[in-house]
Amino acid sequence: MEQFITSWLGSTPAFAIPLALASMGLVLCERAGVLNMGAEGYMALGAMTAAVLTLTLGNPAIGIICAVLAGAALALLFGFAVVIMRCEQILAGLATMAVGLGIAGVVGRPYVHKSFAGLQPLDLPVLDRIPLIGRLVFNQDILVYLTVLIGVALWLLLERTRAGLKIRAVGEDPASADVAGVQVQVQQLVAITASGALCGLAGAYLSVASSSIWVENMVAGRGWIALALVVFARWDPLKALAGAFLFGAIEALLPRLQAIGVPAPTYLMNMLPYLFTIAVLLVAAWSGSKKGMAPAALGKPYVRQDRH
Amino acid sequence: MRNPISTSVLSLAAIAGSLLLANPTRAAPFQLEGDPKIAFIYATTARDGGWNEAIDNARQEVADELGYPVAVAESIPEDASALKNAIDLYVQRGFNIIVGTTYGYSDGIADAAEKYPNVAFVNASGTTNSDNLESFYARTYEGWYLAGIAAGAVADNDKLGMLAGFPVSVVNWDINGFARGVQVSNPDANVSVLYTNSWWDPVKEGQATKSLLEQDTSVIANNLSSASPFTEAEKADAYSVGFQLDMSAQAPKRHLTSVVFHWDKYLIPTIKAIAAGTWEPNRNGAFPGIAQGVVDITPLPDSVPAEVKQIIADKRAAIIAGELTPFDGPLIAQDDTEKLPSGESLSDEQLWAMDYLIQGTVGGGQ
Repeated sequence: MEQFITSWLGSTPAFAIPLALASMGLVLCERAGVLNMGAEGYMALGAMTAAVLTLTLGNPAIGIICAVLAGAALALLFGFAVVIMRCEQILAGLATMAVGLGIAGVVGRPYVHKSFAGLQPLDLPVLDRIPLIGRLVFNQDILVYLTVLIGVALWLLLERTRAGLKIRAVGEDPASADVAGVQVQVQQLVAITASGALCGLAGAYLSVASSSIWVENMVAGRGWIALALVVFARWDPLKALAGAFLFGAIEALLPRLQAIGVPAPTYLMNMLPYLFTIAVLLVAAWSGSKKGMAPAALGKPYVRQDRH
Repeated sequence: MRNPISTSVLSLAAIAGSLLLANPTRAAPFQLEGDPKIAFIYATTARDGGWNEAIDNARQEVADELGYPVAVAESIPEDASALKNAIDLYVQRGFNIIVGTTYGYSDGIADAAEKYPNVAFVNASGTTNSDNLESFYARTYEGWYLAGIAAGAVADNDKLGMLAGFPVSVVNWDINGFARGVQVSNPDANVSVLYTNSWWDPVKEGQATKSLLEQDTSVIANNLSSASPFTEAEKADAYSVGFQLDMSAQAPKRHLTSVVFHWDKYLIPTIKAIAAGTWEPNRNGAFPGIAQGVVDITPLPDSVPAEVKQIIADKRAAIIAGELTPFDGPLIAQDDTEKLPSGESLSDEQLWAMDYLIQGTVGGGQ
């Protein structure tokens, strides 16, 4: 039983980290008032970029960095469309998603189904043998720790700094923020680009850390789960992080229950991550304060009245 | 015992009846207009490392052997309008043999077959058939049965595991066929069944494999097509069984065998018949197996004992001769209900309705 829990918790990050990174990126973007439907595409591009570079150069670090840049670049394209050209955000997001999936499919085509070494867990002797949480806490790759740091940093940024206040102001009331001297377009572009970078990192994690392989469509809807997680986490990066870990923990539990022969209906079991995460996050949202509403200007293109 | 006289009377009546009923709309062999031009349509990439790739390998064989023009369209979504557009474009360009490759095309391709009665349609894993449309699938459980015999023989313990996508009949019969094979060589063994709830997710497949390996599973059979289960099994020194394509490259040391498709063995004769004007689509769909060469297992390594190889060769010959099916009765489900009494074989109809796993499997609750 102890062994079971240790290995279950130890493999939770494989499922949780991509969702956590993507949903935290989307939280930032939506707090700046931009509804970003492109996550699935940024993640696919990130996953492909990281895998192809790791395969060709043998160095996961370069692959991961380039995946972040690729995600950011694609998001910047989306940003140009919605912030500068003021396109409809949902349509532009979906179009960007398709671009990401398309580039990943075409460029990655010669590299599908080729296994590589990928990102290895840190080798911390003794500590990883601590019962139950040893493998979860001490036998992970560097990106797992980085993800937690990013979550805390993002929360501090949004809730405790002047820069975060500007981003939130843009998401709540861009006209007032504009009057107060905040450069609405710059804030939004930065938030969008950062969200693309985090989604690119999420994709890189999928290919380079979770599975050590690239195949087309391997993001498999995780971008959409991340988008839903943002809402259930009430636009709070730490709640998004926690929700992703919760979802990942149950996803990691399911195959283990099946492997020991628990006779539960398959379809019902596969609903559990969704049901459980929704339930917990809803309870968290209701029991919290008045905070946690959607940014008031979410999804609305900002048009300055005095510009012609 | 039927009276031979009444039989001949009946057949005379049948001949008379068919003569009376004969009219231009009745099914006759399909007649193609013009030289064959073939188009393959895939829902995702043709190089998907599994299902599509197995068909696409056959497409290359078709092109090489028959020499007809062959076109390929990839990523045509499984909604009727996208498929319809693709088919319209091909037909306008003079393509007259359309090969669909997914269950999701069933309805759209049936509409197209009605709209273009002079175009021949075949659809892999489809469910629709007509005068100019034949769906095809393969008796994959026959290959899984042979692979199961090999797997049961090399298992270090009585724990084998199988990864699969969803609990649907075409998957369940692979699992049950594999378990049946395992019982031939290792009657005490059990096959733990894991559904990943996805056709396509290397992360889930890798984690599902790890979960099985944590339970000391000594053979991993993978009904899905990503490489993760093979690399994980190889790391843990467990054997692996692949599906659709030869997966030996993914686990050079411990790959046991793969249950593979040879769709060319269906497509080439079918396209030849279409070109010759002798093609009559099977109204129940084509359902070839090992006997037709469409399904087989890849050569077994030396780790499989010679006597087991002989058993497998004998069983294979018996399947080809029609003397054996992997699902000869009695067939007992996990919950102890008898699905088929002793002395009977499963009909195709019963196969397509296989919503249970048999004894010898563990888990996979439905």
